[in-house]
Amino acid sequence: MDTHGNKVGFGQAALEHLDALYGYAMTLTRDTTEAEDLVQETYLRAANAANRPEGDSNLKGWLFVIMRNAWLNQLRHKNSGPRFVDLELNEQPVDEMQESPHVVYIRKLEREQVREAIESLPDAYREIVVLRDIEGFTYQEIAMVLNCPAGTVMSRLGRARGKLRKALATWQTRTRIRAV
Amino acid sequence: MRKCDDIRGRLTLYLDNELQGDERATVEAHLSECEACAAIFARELNFLDAVRSEPLHQASPELRDKVRQIISEGRRVPAVSEKRSSAARPRRFGWVDAIAAGLLVLLLPVLMWRIVRQKETLGPSNFALMAAETHLRHVRGQLPLEMETESPQEISSWFANKVDFKVQLPNYQESSGQEKLYTLEGARLVNYQNDYAAYVAYRMKERPITLVITSGSVATPSGGEVIASKGLRFHYNAIAGLKVITWSDRGLTYALVSDLEERGQKSCIVCHEGTKDQDFIEPLKPH
Repeated sequence: MDTHGNKVGFGQAALEHLDALYGYAMTLTRDTTEAEDLVQETYLRAANAANRPEGDSNLKGWLFVIMRNAWLNQLRHKNSGPRFVDLELNEQPVDEMQESPHVVYIRKLEREQVREAIESLPDAYREIVVLRDIEGFTYQEIAMVLNCPAGTVMSRLGRARGKLRKALATWQTRTRIRAV
Repeated sequence: MRKCDDIRGRLTLYLDNELQGDERATVEAHLSECEACAAIFARELNFLDAVRSEPLHQASPELRDKVRQIISEGRRVPAVSEKRSSAARPRRFGWVDAIAAGLLVLLLPVLMWRIVRQKETLGPSNFALMAAETHLRHVRGQLPLEMETESPQEISSWFANKVDFKVQLPNYQESSGQEKLYTLEGARLVNYQNDYAAYVAYRMKERPITLVITSGSVATPSGGEVIASKGLRFHYNAIAGLKVITWSDRGLTYALVSDLEERGQKSCIVCHEGTKDQDFIEPLKPH
């Protein structure tokens, strides 16, 4: 039985990972509506789980495992038609008041390039780059989320970054050509 | 030099904070005294900084509110608009309801018949759905090819170390000496069931055709309309305006997706263009 204090503590800690979970849901689904549904399903399962991890250290990884399992479960049971992909992103504006318009413009351009490059990766590569480089999980934590050996994490991450580097180099070359 | 090779081999682990204690100190000591390795390190760090600089997505305030409610109540809470509509004042049984009830009575036999028919034919398999979805994403330019070539041999070699099965694409066009009816465009990997599937893109008179291949242990064709031909069972589905044919043969499972006419059986020519294979394609035509 959950005490009120535990519930509040868990809720606050879990809510801190909302953006990260939403980002991962977008990586898995590539669709804003499906991602929002998946986030809600994840929190629902977490809120009703009997065995939550002790302390905050494992909470994020645990929530990611729940999300991935929920997603795989949805894929297995989905038989009512294909997922329609919508890459229009409903992003919230970041506070950019402190920076000059030029810096803001360059930042946006770079961020857009990085995002496009990550989006262009094959699903499994995109997923591992997001888990390591956006969410900052360790190899061991990624292995837990993906349910695979840590060696696979290392090799897949290496290949994914190789592709990402290539994609970014292409974009940078294109931008330079445009600038000239 | 050997020391440099050793350090460079561990740079990724160092940058990912996966080295501790002595191992970490050894890398740091070497970087402080070797300019060449320090330059490589700086380049890698720049690259990772660029990738790691910003979160890609942020949850909307509406989603945040919904999640807060889920956490506090332990169940999904309907959206404000849903609540408002369900909490609207009770309506009396009016003439609109009477017409709706009448229509329901009239349409009930038709609905029942459709439900029974749907049960007879199972829906498309997840593999067929994935193939249709990846085809759509590719057509929309959201899933670029990882390698582009018109050579089946090059595609087979490209997949050699990437998937656990052998992708061998026949080259009927050259051997048949017939007019070129389709072009091979290229390939990429796609994710399916925690594994990679091979994605091969063709084009026939400007219309895209996709062939997705995975191991038979990962996907089994099921559902849809089943058509037997030459000892194989083909499962045909129409998904989002696309024609999807799935089947298994010699340990591999295939999905062929197109928007071609009828059941899309013409797409089979990407592997069976020779005249001798026409009797193979014939049973897939609707009768």
